[in-house]
Amino acid sequence: MSRFIRKMSRRAIVQALIALPALSLFRNQPAVADPDEIVEINGWILRRSDLA
Amino acid sequence: MIFDSYQAYKQAGFKPKACILGSGPAGTTIARKLGAAGIPVVVLEAGSREFSDESQDFYRGRTVGDFYFDLDITRLRFMGGSSNHWAGWCRVLDSQDFEPKAWAPDTGWPISRADIEPYLPEVHDILELPDFRPDVPVSDDIRWVQLIKSPAVRFGEKFADELDKSKNIAVVLNTYATELTGDGKRVTGAKLWSNGQDAGTFAADYFVTCTGGLENSRLLLWSNQRSNGGVVPNSAALGRYWMEHPTFQGGNAILANYSEFEVDASNEAFFSPTLAAMERLRIMNFGIRLIESPYPNVKKLIADLACTAPNMAEWMSSQLDQRLHCAAQLYVAWEQAPLASNQIELSKADVDHAGVPRIELHWKKSPLERRTLLEGLKLFGTTMAQKNLGRVRIDDWISNGGDYPTNEETAGHHHMGGTRMGTDVLKSVVDANCKVHGMDNLYVGGSSVFCTSGQCNPTTTITALACRLGEHLGKVIVV
Repeated sequence: MSRFIRKMSRRAIVQALIALPALSLFRNQPAVADPDEIVEINGWILRRSDLA
Repeated sequence: MIFDSYQAYKQAGFKPKACILGSGPAGTTIARKLGAAGIPVVVLEAGSREFSDESQDFYRGRTVGDFYFDLDITRLRFMGGSSNHWAGWCRVLDSQDFEPKAWAPDTGWPISRADIEPYLPEVHDILELPDFRPDVPVSDDIRWVQLIKSPAVRFGEKFADELDKSKNIAVVLNTYATELTGDGKRVTGAKLWSNGQDAGTFAADYFVTCTGGLENSRLLLWSNQRSNGGVVPNSAALGRYWMEHPTFQGGNAILANYSEFEVDASNEAFFSPTLAAMERLRIMNFGIRLIESPYPNVKKLIADLACTAPNMAEWMSSQLDQRLHCAAQLYVAWEQAPLASNQIELSKADVDHAGVPRIELHWKKSPLERRTLLEGLKLFGTTMAQKNLGRVRIDDWISNGGDYPTNEETAGHHHMGGTRMGTDVLKSVVDANCKVHGMDNLYVGGSSVFCTSGQCNPTTTITALACRLGEHLGKVIVV
């Protein structure tokens, strides 16, 4: 165990672990698909909106 | 004047300054220009006024490489040459076709489109063409281009009376040069064959070979071999860089409004890439032809689309209810990359009745062309979808890298290259005036001088180049 961890209190470690899921809020959200994007499927050249 | 044999011609005592070999679009056009300039010219035509199996047999040959047409059906050997089976489709090479392409080796002409433009009014008269409308940009990548279907001028029929009445032009039928003789500076004469037999030798101050995009190479290769390099002293490129317009069905399209493009009388419309798109994708030029689909094909196409895009298919079905013209087959014809390995050689095993080796044509489509086909269709499909003009489906054999089909159009019967124009004697045969490098009195007319093929049918450009060469010779030849 590193010296840094040894210096932290047990309480601080537990609080850090509890806070971890909240980090996902800072991640980039997946882009909303552009309906005008050109896609190729089964030889067809289509707009993404065609697939709806 | 028109003679049916060399013997009859000799008896007339005509004294030509120039001899043109072949009476197709190039040969006839050059002869008319020279005749009009007051220069006496003889045109030797290997065939007669009509098609015959005997004459056609001289065109038999062999192809090595990709599947191609029999060489005796892809061209015609009688008065008027291959204009006799020409479909009449007209368009001049675009300006961009004359420019070198950094991504395609050995492209670029020593002349530009501006060099042939002064002759286009004359070409329009000869081919009975209305004016071309300017290209219409459909997107930054695709142009809607015009390809005029002319009345398909048969040069032999159209100009027979004029040639017969001319005092300056003598057409000798059933007569051709089996070989030219030369001393490395000049053509010194021609060995003739007339009505199935040796007709002796013939001399003129100037010779112009206009025997077609295959036969020009054959004649010069054989002549050069017999004269120990005395006819084409710089022969590294002779017979090489031969090109066609490969043509295949590439897919189908469902169109939002078929009449959007003012299709021609055959319900066809034509599209080509912009130079910027060719440059970005590093592909050759191509032409996409929309041909109206028969009704059962449309239903099949919509059923196929239903598996991928149900809503789109439903919308298309409603379109089909409103109008029958809503789908098209897409045919793609493209520009071949000029390759030295695509070449005409003389057969080592087979000769014609006059003892001249037949053609062995080495022809293979390149990976760059395969990419042009796929990327070209994608480019067109993307433009159609982005502009909501329709949707395109690319055929599976193209998407999956399958073999080229052997039961389709294959190519355009457009024989180009072999005696290409250029400044580098290692990569060309004639100069910008169509004069054979190093020779004082030997010129070449026709599509064998093409450096690149562009995407359009060649006859209009052949005729324009012939007008230009005819005018040049009219100044060079002293009467």
